[in-house]
Amino acid sequence: MNLQAIRILFLKDLFLSRRQLFAYFTAGLAASGLVCVPNATLTFVGFLLVITVAIAAGIHLIGTLMLAETTDQTKLFVMSLPISLLEYSIGKISVVLTTYLIPWTSMFACLVIATFVLGKQGSVAVLPAIFFFLLCGFMLQMVTAVVTESVGWTICVMVGCNVCLNVLLMKLFADAEVAEVVKSDVLTWPNLVLQIVGVELLIIVVALVTAFLFQTRKRDLV
Amino acid sequence: MTTELDSSTGIELAASLVDVSKSYKHFKLRNIDFSVQRGTVAGLIGPNGAGKSTTMRILMGLVQPDSGTVSALGKPISSSEAAAKQDIGYFSDDMRLYKPESIGWHMQFVRSLYPTWDDAYATQLLDRFGLISQQIVKGLSHGQRVKAMLLLILARRPKLLILDEPTNGLDPVAKHEILTELMRVVEDDSRTILYSSHNTQDVEQISDSITFIDRGQVIASSNRDEFLESWKRVRLHAPEAWKLPIVQGLRLESSHRNLHVLSCSQFHDRIPVELQESGVVIEAIESMTLEEIFVSSVMRGREGSQS
Repeated sequence: MNLQAIRILFLKDLFLSRRQLFAYFTAGLAASGLVCVPNATLTFVGFLLVITVAIAAGIHLIGTLMLAETTDQTKLFVMSLPISLLEYSIGKISVVLTTYLIPWTSMFACLVIATFVLGKQGSVAVLPAIFFFLLCGFMLQMVTAVVTESVGWTICVMVGCNVCLNVLLMKLFADAEVAEVVKSDVLTWPNLVLQIVGVELLIIVVALVTAFLFQTRKRDLV
Repeated sequence: MTTELDSSTGIELAASLVDVSKSYKHFKLRNIDFSVQRGTVAGLIGPNGAGKSTTMRILMGLVQPDSGTVSALGKPISSSEAAAKQDIGYFSDDMRLYKPESIGWHMQFVRSLYPTWDDAYATQLLDRFGLISQQIVKGLSHGQRVKAMLLLILARRPKLLILDEPTNGLDPVAKHEILTELMRVVEDDSRTILYSSHNTQDVEQISDSITFIDRGQVIASSNRDEFLESWKRVRLHAPEAWKLPIVQGLRLESSHRNLHVLSCSQFHDRIPVELQESGVVIEAIESMTLEEIFVSSVMRGREGSQS
């Protein structure tokens, strides 16, 4: 395996996605900042914006870095270079994941820090369940993009994930233990949150392995 | 570099496909057999949808054949193997560069993957093709885009060039510039070009050998000069009840009353004699252009597959 080729492909895609990356990173920080404003309406709007930025970043980065390479016919150019399918797959999956994790991590970290600074430590308990769900949705969209190479199917999965997110939020805040912890100043981990995070992590790992296996087993590169 | 030799002639080969087949839902590439001699220009001619691009993609390792063996520059080709592509330059009319980036950015990107990249030659090509390094791909014309892609391929000095319809849609000047550059490339005896097109004039201009492909099958393959010498057109007057004698390679192309036009794929001195013995008066025996030979070959192949 040629690590130098993987590095070059990774940096190439990172450079190509620099504008989106900057835009989503900035938008993520701005939305997280809004959550910290001591006004219930603005906090709620900020929270919605955080979720919106995370979803938009995911679908946009998958579209730009994965699907556009097929639709714009640049994949033929890349695959004509001395790069194996394995190297291409590692480079592609790692750069898509990295570019998504930059705004995702910054928003997650900002909100955790903000809740501690504002003295609402209990609220931190729901953040992993929500953020890992967003990451989970992104991974499922990435697998769909890898397997189908279709914008339509990827959007379908995104819509499905958004519906599931609403169900998750509803269930999460309807749980008595979670509601109590969120109001508290002390951080504890409700059972429901731990179960949800466990399932989400499992889905993330399975999705990553599936994406990689499908990508490397393709017989035709273009 | 490992070399592969033709088993019958012992000639050094740059690329070969042996009994290669590939099936898609609505198209089949069937038992493709052909090879390209090292240091030559081989033309692959076929109508649209004949299987030229699929054949070239298989040779490049971009598409995996269902059966058969493929090798280039003495190495077996497969999609999992990148090393074989190091010395091959592939161009396709379907290929695109990254629109928001400049030609210079693409040059840097390709250069980082090729130790053989020749900066001085790349600069020469920029000049010869009238390109500017800072030009953004999005703003390039079709001709400039083709030239930019060829620059990215040629500047890495590949031993084998696989060019899929490089002159498609180009104006005559751009076409001339590109063909001239390709002729410069093959001045180096060690370098080989496989060139596909449905435009026979371009292929005739630069090719040493020619292969015709239609409906996923190779229908004829020969040296260019042999093609042009062995194919003749015969114009003749024949009596009303005249029937075309059964002579190998002879085909009736068109008839108007008692004036007939025949094409002959294996012309030799006995053919006019046999025709005259059948009662006709030969008006003219003419050479055929490669385009005429190609069309006649395709029609013969299709008639053969229908009968």
